Amino acid sequence: MLEIHDLRKVYDGRGRHVEAIASVTLSVAAGELVCVVGPSGCGKTTLLRAVAGLLPVSGGEVAVDGRRVTGPPPGTAVVFQEYGRSLFPWMTVRQNVELPLKEKGLPAGRRRALVAGSLDAVGLADAADAHPWQLSGGMQQRVAIARAVAYEPKVLLMDEPFAAVDAQTRADLEDLILRLWRDLGMTVLFVTHDIDEAVYLGQRVVVLSASPTTVMEDLKIDLPAARDQLTTRSLPRFGELRGHVYRQIQRARAHHDDARGTP
Amino acid sequence: MSATGPPGDARPATAAGDVRVRGAGAAGDARPGGGVRVRVLGAVRRVVCLVALPALLVLLWWAVSGSSFYLPGPAAVGRAFAETWFSARLLDDVLPSVGRLLAGYALAALLGVGLGVPIGSSPRLRATLEPVLEFFRAVPPPVLVPLIMLLAGIDTPMKVLVIVSGCVWPILLNTVEGVRALDEVLADTCRMYGISGMSRLRWFVLRGASPQIMTGLRQALSIGIILMVISEMFASSSGLGFTIVLFQRQFQIAEMWSGILLLGLLGLGLSLLFRRLERWVLAWYHGSGAARA
Ligand SMILES: Nc1ncnc2c1ncn2[C@@H]1O[C@H](COP(=O)(O)OP(=O)(O)OP(=O)(O)O)[C@@H](O)[C@H]1O
Ligand SMILES: [Mg+2]
Repeated sequence: MLEIHDLRKVYDGRGRHVEAIASVTLSVAAGELVCVVGPSGCGKTTLLRAVAGLLPVSGGEVAVDGRRVTGPPPGTAVVFQEYGRSLFPWMTVRQNVELPLKEKGLPAGRRRALVAGSLDAVGLADAADAHPWQLSGGMQQRVAIARAVAYEPKVLLMDEPFAAVDAQTRADLEDLILRLWRDLGMTVLFVTHDIDEAVYLGQRVVVLSASPTTVMEDLKIDLPAARDQLTTRSLPRFGELRGHVYRQIQRARAHHDDARGTP
Repeated sequence: MSATGPPGDARPATAAGDVRVRGAGAAGDARPGGGVRVRVLGAVRRVVCLVALPALLVLLWWAVSGSSFYLPGPAAVGRAFAETWFSARLLDDVLPSVGRLLAGYALAALLGVGLGVPIGSSPRLRATLEPVLEFFRAVPPPVLVPLIMLLAGIDTPMKVLVIVSGCVWPILLNTVEGVRALDEVLADTCRMYGISGMSRLRWFVLRGASPQIMTGLRQALSIGIILMVISEMFASSSGLGFTIVLFQRQFQIAEMWSGILLLGLLGLGLSLLFRRLERWVLAWYHGSGAARA
């Protein structure tokens, strides 16, 4: 479904030359949920934007559903890291969620059902007529998730979508994503800086090195398919995987510091 | 892979917290206690505040008037006002003037926003055109009147054109600025969800640039009133500006003053109307606190 081959990205600003991604090769099968973790600034957002077709790449190739990505591939939804800025402040929550569905040409009845369903799923049914700026950060983030989910995408790209919510809501939303992923058969690429979350959600966890970025490890998560916040997280295997990913990220950062010549 | 159902079909166990909506008008809703009496007192105080300064000015005017032939008192001007403007002049002079103002203003708005959107969207167009546009903006519009007279004669088209030529620049330049500064995350959101063409223009570009567009429109309104008067002073046989000059030449001093008063009231009325419109269009902007940031 998602094929990333030898992707390279160099940002060339005025006098600033940043090699964000050196070479990333990664593939995600249809219906798979893959989490991407890595140290801050390693190019996770860059990778996601390249897959979304929002960023011209410097080398390599990205293909979604067998087609080379040159612009946003149809049927792809993104939850941006800057969730607050991704909502239209002049529209209500309902209108924000509904607009993409209108563009898709869905009839009004179907749109209403999808909007109500997705807002309900993120626990914001009561806030449908509020404007985004009347909501807390976590609520705004949930609106962005509801919009992506209502769109019924084939591919869902999420960039640290739960960063601004409290622990309980976060757990609820994690389970929501798992449920929707199973129900809708979406392909999900999920960027996070939370190792626990990556291991809990993913069928695979891809660990990126520090910038200039390569794939450090592509780890299969061999936990039972049915995940549960309490039982899954208390499995011994969960702890092992978590520890493993943690050490990998430590290594990535240490390696990075060595390369820069700092002790 | 196929979608097996809408995301809301299976009700989730995600009662993700209670929903609190921060009130937009929380401060406005919470009136201090005390009920009717307080509210009446508040209204009275507001009226007094509103009327006090004008009343003081009229008093001052009355005190200094009479000292000169050129400065008639409030009573004389008031009488002249009623006689002059509640007459055929209302139809022959005032309405055509206001009509030309509104026509020129609307044309300028259409032109300014219509050109501003493509220029603001394209960095290359902007880089080429912006210095030229700034130059045109810097030319004081009244000096264009003689030129426009040569091109468009001295009738209504000339006057409307003069108004357009002055009003279009602030609208155009502010629109360019507003479109240039549109949030890129929102632009990416539009691309991702296939919001393009007219819906992009309607739901994203125009709404996103509306704070700057409204600023341009506000500046243009006062320029428009000035140009309405000036275009009628040059070569005309009707209109507010013409009439005021006529009164001056005929030494109808009270009538001349009443015309100036009428212009002031007209400007005040239009700007109050505009403020209404602005509050409605930019409710989200003022609510979100972006205006204060
Ligand atoms: N528009 C840009 N212009 C120049 N450099 C950029 C740009 N966007 C990102 N970078 C650089 O690319 C690198 C990767 O950035 P990116 O935002 O992809 O990191 P990230 O892994 O998402 O970080 P975080 O976890 O903090 O969100 C950083 O060094 C950053 O400075
Ligand atoms: Mg990021």
